Amino acid sequence: MQYLDSGKLGILVTLLIVAFILFNIARAKNRTDLFIRRIPGLNALDDAIGRATEMGRPVLMVPGIGTLDAISVQAVTIFSNVARTAAQFSTPIRICCADAAVYTVAQEVIRDVYQQEGVPERMDAQTVQFVSDRQFAFAAGVQGMILREKVAATFLLGAFYAESLIFAESANSIGAIQVAGSTQNTQTPFFIAACDYVLIGDEFYAASAYITRQPVLVGSLLGQDWGKMLIIGSIFCGMVLNSVERNQMVTMTRQESTVEVRGGQEAVAEMVPYEGEPRKKNATETTIYRLFHPMYNESMYQIERQPKPDETPEPAPAEGGEVTL
Amino acid sequence: MNLLAYQPTWWTLNPQDNGRYGVLVGVFLAGMVLFFALSKVPHSARRPIVVGVTFLSGLFWVLRYLWPEPIALRDNELPTGMVEKTGQWLQTSVPFVSGIAQVVTSFLLGLGMFSLLRVHFTKITRKQRDWQYSVLLLVCMGAMIVVGYGDWLQREFWLKEKITDDTTTWTNVNVAFNVMFDGLLQNMDAAMFSIIAFYIFSAAYRAFRIRSMEATLLMSSALIVMLSLMGAVTSFWNTGIDSMTQMDPANLLNNLKLNTLAGWLRNVVQVPALQALEFGVGLGTLAMALRLWLGLERGGVTE
Repeated sequence: MQYLDSGKLGILVTLLIVAFILFNIARAKNRTDLFIRRIPGLNALDDAIGRATEMGRPVLMVPGIGTLDAISVQAVTIFSNVARTAAQFSTPIRICCADAAVYTVAQEVIRDVYQQEGVPERMDAQTVQFVSDRQFAFAAGVQGMILREKVAATFLLGAFYAESLIFAESANSIGAIQVAGSTQNTQTPFFIAACDYVLIGDEFYAASAYITRQPVLVGSLLGQDWGKMLIIGSIFCGMVLNSVERNQMVTMTRQESTVEVRGGQEAVAEMVPYEGEPRKKNATETTIYRLFHPMYNESMYQIERQPKPDETPEPAPAEGGEVTL
Repeated sequence: MNLLAYQPTWWTLNPQDNGRYGVLVGVFLAGMVLFFALSKVPHSARRPIVVGVTFLSGLFWVLRYLWPEPIALRDNELPTGMVEKTGQWLQTSVPFVSGIAQVVTSFLLGLGMFSLLRVHFTKITRKQRDWQYSVLLLVCMGAMIVVGYGDWLQREFWLKEKITDDTTTWTNVNVAFNVMFDGLLQNMDAAMFSIIAFYIFSAAYRAFRIRSMEATLLMSSALIVMLSLMGAVTSFWNTGIDSMTQMDPANLLNNLKLNTLAGWLRNVVQVPALQALEFGVGLGTLAMALRLWLGLERGGVTE
């Protein structure tokens, strides 16, 4: 990222949202009256586990096929809450991972949950398992498990792609109760069509706060809401400002070009008086555009630097001889 | 001196040296010992380690995002001042830091394979239901590993100059790998992917059954978008609209043309809704990352 290239507005907004989140986390520690609206998908967690317990069948959880990132960590965090309830009722669980790092983290987390509940012996090799890191091999493996073990409930939470519908429809065909949520907007419609409950968009991230009601998590959620307000306000102000400006007659226009700077080409731009036919401003002549596309002139690139000394390394003595492979 | 930045090492300058394989094995063993030692750390000490390592790793990427990079710095120039030097240090350190993540992931893949072996060996030894499939899986996995490594060694080392894209130069190992990977695995992947078409059909059938106001709206909008993609239907419909409007571009009925309606649904209804969801997801990801980075998250992965 280069300040000169992208402007500072994006960073300012990011820092503002970070400040909102941290401020609300600090504030929430002293408050117990913070409200979270009802999320049906999360209310159904206990029902799903209860159903599995009654039927004596396992609960299947899939944290998506993404690598170890915020999405899969959130999924594993939700699964740890589900696993806690399942451990209390001796309901078997299956967590299928497509990424070795996610598998390792999930295994540690679930093992801790079983130990905390005093039933470490109930965790076996099948509780958390690595299936495959190939998308459709993983899909085939999990689909086979759904159909063979006739799972009573499925939790599909995380980053899903084309395999989402394979899981959801397979589980639907055996009558499993399904709670799903994906951060991939392209997969959410498939889940809505095939699953009983779906966490849409950021409901996925609200799950931990909703289930545990920890002040830190609830405060973080409130900070996110403040961030949304900021975005809504920015969109509204931008819409009004742009609508007004686009109806004004143009007097200055933006001229972009490149200049040679010490052997390389760099982009420059400047506002010059408009001398053509009278017309209204176009998108590149508005203030909003300039906020996100700041202009640079040639003088900004005039930085005096010392040349780098020649760093060609001396070849090391060849001691090993030719490789014999 | 940039301690993190990728520098040409003695190994890269001397790729033929045999000693590097010994060092590689040593580093691998040291990594295994480190992993084993970390797994034996007392439970109470785990959280500070996890939080500390997470904070340091996150700090690098936060600085990388926030710290300004040198402007128009050429390869033959030295950065000036602390800001530029730090910016360049962060920039050139990225391959090294990413390399650490790749090394850790490689170790974890071994744990993943161990899980797979444990599950399926247990099934076989206890003769659990469908244990025959586990035998097949292990045989296939073993065959693919052996043939895959054989193919790689032949192509990269043993017969590097002799094996080309021409299939007549291939050995039995190359042919076997080609049959197993391109002939079987890729096609089985494609078969799994094609199954989705049938699942979409059955899921769409349930979703489009008109049982509620939402389902009716969904059905109507889907119908418009689908019809707009059918050339003959669109042409017939739009010709009808043109005849009613006498080709007057200012007539409001032009808005009822199928492609106009579908475009409106996509650009005015669908795109803003998706962008709103993406804003929410982005904020959630930011908050989650922040809590993890600063060690504010209790329970789950940081316990």
